Amino acid sequence: MKKVIVGNHAVSWGVSLARAEVIAAYPITPQTQIVEELAEMCDDGRLAAKFIKVESEHSAMAACIGASATGVRAFTATSSQGLLLMHELLHWAGLGRLPIVMADINRAVAPGWNIWTDQNDTLAQRDTGWVQLYCENNQEVLDTTIQAFALAEKLSLPVMIVLDAFFLSHTSEPVDIPSPAEVDAFLPRRDAALKLDTRDPHAFGALTTPAVYMEMRKRQQEAFDQVPETLRLIDADWDRRFGRSWGAVESYRTSDADTVLVTSGTITSTARYVINERRERGEKVGLVKIKMFRPFPTEPLRRALAGIPKVAVLDRNISPGHGGIFAEELRSALYDLPSARRPRVDGYVLGLGGRDVTPEVIGECLDATRGNDSSANAREDLWVGVKP
Amino acid sequence: MAESKAVLDIAHGVPPVSVSQTSTRVNKTGSWKYIRPLYRDRVAPCNQGCPVGIDIEGYMNLLREGRVDEARDLVLRENPLPATTGRVCYHPCESSCNRASFDQPVAIHAVERMLGDLALGKSAAPALAKRAETVGVIGSGPAGLACAYHLARLGYGVTVYEAEREPGGVLRWGIPEYRLPKAILASEVGRIRDLGVTFRTSTHVGRDVTLAELGLHDAVFAATGVHKSRELGIPGETLTGVWRGLDLLRAVNAGERPQLGKRVVVVGGGNTAMDCARTALRLGAEVTVLYRRSRAEMPANHEEVEAALHEGARFSFLTLPIEVTGDPREVDVDPLRAIEDTFGQFDRSSEEPRVSAVLCARMELGEPDASGRRAPRRIEHGEFRIVCDTVVTALGEEAETDYLPTELHGGAIRVTALGETSRTALFAGGDLLEEPHTVAFALGSGKRAAIGIDHYLRMKAGEAGAEVELGELKLGPEGNLSMTRWRADDPVARVNPVNEVVKVTDLNLSQFGHARRAEDVLRPAWETRHDFLEANLGLPREDAMAEARRCFNCAVCNGCEVCLIFCPDVSISRRDDGKFDIAYDYCKGCGLCAAECPRGAITMTREGL
Repeated sequence: MKKVIVGNHAVSWGVSLARAEVIAAYPITPQTQIVEELAEMCDDGRLAAKFIKVESEHSAMAACIGASATGVRAFTATSSQGLLLMHELLHWAGLGRLPIVMADINRAVAPGWNIWTDQNDTLAQRDTGWVQLYCENNQEVLDTTIQAFALAEKLSLPVMIVLDAFFLSHTSEPVDIPSPAEVDAFLPRRDAALKLDTRDPHAFGALTTPAVYMEMRKRQQEAFDQVPETLRLIDADWDRRFGRSWGAVESYRTSDADTVLVTSGTITSTARYVINERRERGEKVGLVKIKMFRPFPTEPLRRALAGIPKVAVLDRNISPGHGGIFAEELRSALYDLPSARRPRVDGYVLGLGGRDVTPEVIGECLDATRGNDSSANAREDLWVGVKP
Repeated sequence: MAESKAVLDIAHGVPPVSVSQTSTRVNKTGSWKYIRPLYRDRVAPCNQGCPVGIDIEGYMNLLREGRVDEARDLVLRENPLPATTGRVCYHPCESSCNRASFDQPVAIHAVERMLGDLALGKSAAPALAKRAETVGVIGSGPAGLACAYHLARLGYGVTVYEAEREPGGVLRWGIPEYRLPKAILASEVGRIRDLGVTFRTSTHVGRDVTLAELGLHDAVFAATGVHKSRELGIPGETLTGVWRGLDLLRAVNAGERPQLGKRVVVVGGGNTAMDCARTALRLGAEVTVLYRRSRAEMPANHEEVEAALHEGARFSFLTLPIEVTGDPREVDVDPLRAIEDTFGQFDRSSEEPRVSAVLCARMELGEPDASGRRAPRRIEHGEFRIVCDTVVTALGEEAETDYLPTELHGGAIRVTALGETSRTALFAGGDLLEEPHTVAFALGSGKRAAIGIDHYLRMKAGEAGAEVELGELKLGPEGNLSMTRWRADDPVARVNPVNEVVKVTDLNLSQFGHARRAEDVLRPAWETRHDFLEANLGLPREDAMAEARRCFNCAVCNGCEVCLIFCPDVSISRRDDGKFDIAYDYCKGCGLCAAECPRGAITMTREGL
């Protein structure tokens, strides 16, 4: 069934098809539509889930943690300040190895109060033990939402699906919605090996001494190590059933490229347009889209970028005192390539707080990197379009 | 602290998380608490507010669960006439309903009417064992009927003495058919008759038999009501065309259709006045109600005043009649109307002098009087005349107590908390007492006297002591006695009941959603003013059931599970009987359950007390 829906509702449909059993959420712009639609689905019987109203995002995540510990499928959605308020419990879900799925609508962090898109809210949570998947369009949102449950439950890891505020959350696109039966065949009911059972109570998150805490952390790292291959298999299964796959990293027209853009989120779609235009003019340019940020896809990126002379990373985020976060992580991923095959990585910080990233802006970045023949990495990222 | 098993066997699919190996049951966190929650059922304000003493909350809860037959039987335990009270009671229960502070009170009267109608043709549970004693009941109004009903159900032989030719008292002869159809009343009286109660109608105690002759009974209950209309005390009161309100209602209730003429003046502001006004409208008259104070001071029930207004009655407030004048007629009659009159039903050829007008004085309100209402006083030169054919007086009624011992004459009779007069074995109730003269109070007084008589006769037979724990029999400290509690056979399972009323501030209103109160279906006034068929049709069954679902079920645990959901220590569990257990070994006394309980059925108590 094809429907024209906004990105937020693509999440709702995905959660509904995944038959989430507990949804706990607190409203925040621009996420609210996701849980409003889910609340209506619960109310009118389309979704047999318990919708728990809470007084804060901290409680929303706490409710999801409790629910997930009992073995049911739990979901929440949030944005910006709401995600920051959850921070303590994001760690709890991560180390508790609870396969909760959450949608976060990327929104700038206050102050100044800003509801527009910016990746700093989710990137500030990169070390909490959550898988992070950044989506480019509404079809990818719906597909990724369902895949996220499969991935989460396979490895006992929580998964965050990330969407750009408004550019995706509130933009309507045609979306192919699979039938419940098809999704049921892809995603069976959750079968948790360890469940919190009030009839046989145990302390979850009990005191853990130095003698064993590190082993717990190591197991978490090992689970993250399995994410790329597990996601690849899940995506391939999805492709076989529905004829679509997305990949953790996507290369676009890079085979003979001398310069490649590295993007995430909706900037990717604008960048594709720029690449197509430049290719028509005969410029050898290409694009690499990073969908999965945690775990960081080091190997796929090395394969995608080795031998390309120049790379321009577009970062809609900033780690103050350091630089664009994708650029920094990419530089360290490529660091030990042989120097002849190691690209120069230029970082561009742009689009913060929802500022528009137009084809012209992207073209500027591309030209700056192509026109610079220095072999050394720039010491500082370039801030694009900032008023003096 | 239990040791953790941080590294679990991943080969078996168990993720490596920190979980205690031993059960946390060893950690009895309940030892931390200094206050503990207790399920304690209290009393809903409607139950205390009902002069009959009906377990309203109880039947609302049964209806919520769809247990309609049990709800009906629960009403019949306390109220012999639910189809009647569902129609004519002015529902003080609704005035005390906690929901009034939230949106609108539950339409209790309509729910009771539904249950009453479902009970028509159904018998009440008879006594388990017959008793040797007999009781005489004087008067078959609501008080007498209630006393007879409850005594019969307690096993006594009961004879009711009724001066009129049919039982029912004010219900039969006072309340008009359009408010209470005779067939409904007859059916409910039939249910009492079926319990073995003997009705001796057309038997006036004091004239046909004496009170002394009733000495053959082991106890007597007097409930002859008030039916002597107060007089206007002004010139012209004896003219033809001046009716006493109760006489008019009695005549119409007997099936007569007296000719009142075109213009009728009703004097008075009480419920009898409204009954007279609406009855006169139905007899084809234009009606003007004269009341010496203003609308705000009218003692009549608001709904009755509204109905009279809708049906076309006019009100002249701050108006005091000072003289009724007879023929010769005033000439300022509308000529067209005068011609109509000659063709009308009203026969003007009578020789006797007949009412032609009421001379009135215009009043104003002064300082509050003893009743708390502003006292009316005459305005000088404010006299005016209202032309009319009939005057109906409805200034209140007095009791006729000649048949009673002389010490009980003069004014309202004083009785004990169990309805006994100063004369041993003689009990009294209904409008003979000082309580509000309503059907509900009368029913309650009859029940109270039935308990009093049962206690008196059992004490006499050596089966009971003199002590009665009145406090425990009452529905709330201010409420009426409960027959269910007297008989100690409550079908509703109650947990640690305490006799205190739940206030709206004891409730957790966040657990409730707003819902509009269903309004009774009223036939249009242009239709009702022409017939004596029932004017208020009550609620359709589904609306009445929806009203039952609007009930907060104050004070009594109904198994809603809010406590179970909110308990952060998972210390509350459901029992097979639908109630809950608290595992005090683990309850930390946080009080969330009591705070979240929608209905105030959980109380926090000091630990160790």
